[in-house]
Amino acid sequence: MVSEAGAILAAVTLETPDFQAYLGTRPPRFVNDAELECAKVLDYHGVPWDYEPRTFVLERDDEGRVLEAFTPDFFLPEQELYLEITVMKQSLVTRKNRKLRKLRRLYPDVRVKLFYKRDIERLAERYHLDIAS
Amino acid sequence: MRHGPLAAGLPPRDRPLPDYRIGEIYLSSAELRARVVELGDEISRDYDGREPLLVATLKASVVFLTDLSRATPIPHWLDFVELAGYGPGVGTGGHTGIRLLKDLGSEIAGRDVLIVEDVVDTGLTLNYLCRTLRLRSPGSLAAITLLDRPYRRLVDDLPVRYVGFTVPDELFVGYGFDLDERYRNLPDLHVVRRLAA
Repeated sequence: MVSEAGAILAAVTLETPDFQAYLGTRPPRFVNDAELECAKVLDYHGVPWDYEPRTFVLERDDEGRVLEAFTPDFFLPEQELYLEITVMKQSLVTRKNRKLRKLRRLYPDVRVKLFYKRDIERLAERYHLDIAS
Repeated sequence: MRHGPLAAGLPPRDRPLPDYRIGEIYLSSAELRARVVELGDEISRDYDGREPLLVATLKASVVFLTDLSRATPIPHWLDFVELAGYGPGVGTGGHTGIRLLKDLGSEIAGRDVLIVEDVVDTGLTLNYLCRTLRLRSPGSLAAITLLDRPYRRLVDDLPVRYVGFTVPDELFVGYGFDLDERYRNLPDLHVVRRLAA
């Protein structure tokens, strides 16, 4: 039996648009419709983008093992900007915000922006997208 | 006042049932007029003796452009571009990127070009327009926007020189802004409210 989340994931990964501004070498594996639509919007506007190109280590134990890390969804090299997309509930966004604050403290030169559910809805309204929210 | 969901392309009688309504006035016509006059004065000072070309993006900027033009006493020119709209299905299969549906009617090489935008948020559209127009070697290129949402910017290095109002993260309608091609003619700028499901 396929879970609802699994079904959504399968539907998203099945769609493989012919991206023009994507800089990665392997097809991106989006985890939700919002990520896919953001990728389409960036691509449509000809803004070069990469998907999850870098993982930032946030915490290690005494032996150097990674305890906490963060991988922003998109990187826009022309803007030198990482973009994290979230469609989570507010309680979960709080945890993500904490991670982002930690990332900014440890990597002060890295620019990262969180796009909230509301931002995604605005994109959807502006571009007439069909994003379940 | 109620309104149907976004369903561009459908004739009115075929549009789905309403799930938006036109909310309270966010900026009155008097407030808009006063700010546009200020912007016209600023432009007139900055471009005195240079006859700038004001380029508006169809369609939402049209009302702002016509008011701005009348509030700008120095000689200036008007032109329009229209960009292909983004919609569902873009990027699936036959990919199409952003492009000009209607190009400028005038040459801009060496001229002072001022792009007139209704709103700048992510900056993706303005970024495309600036990249496209810079290829034509204008003497200068700047932008004016009626509304600005700088906190939503994905592209930062934009030549936005004039801002009418920095606005919160709301949907607006009226004064050129539409909802499914309606209500552009409302003289005030209203907040759009989504009806509870």
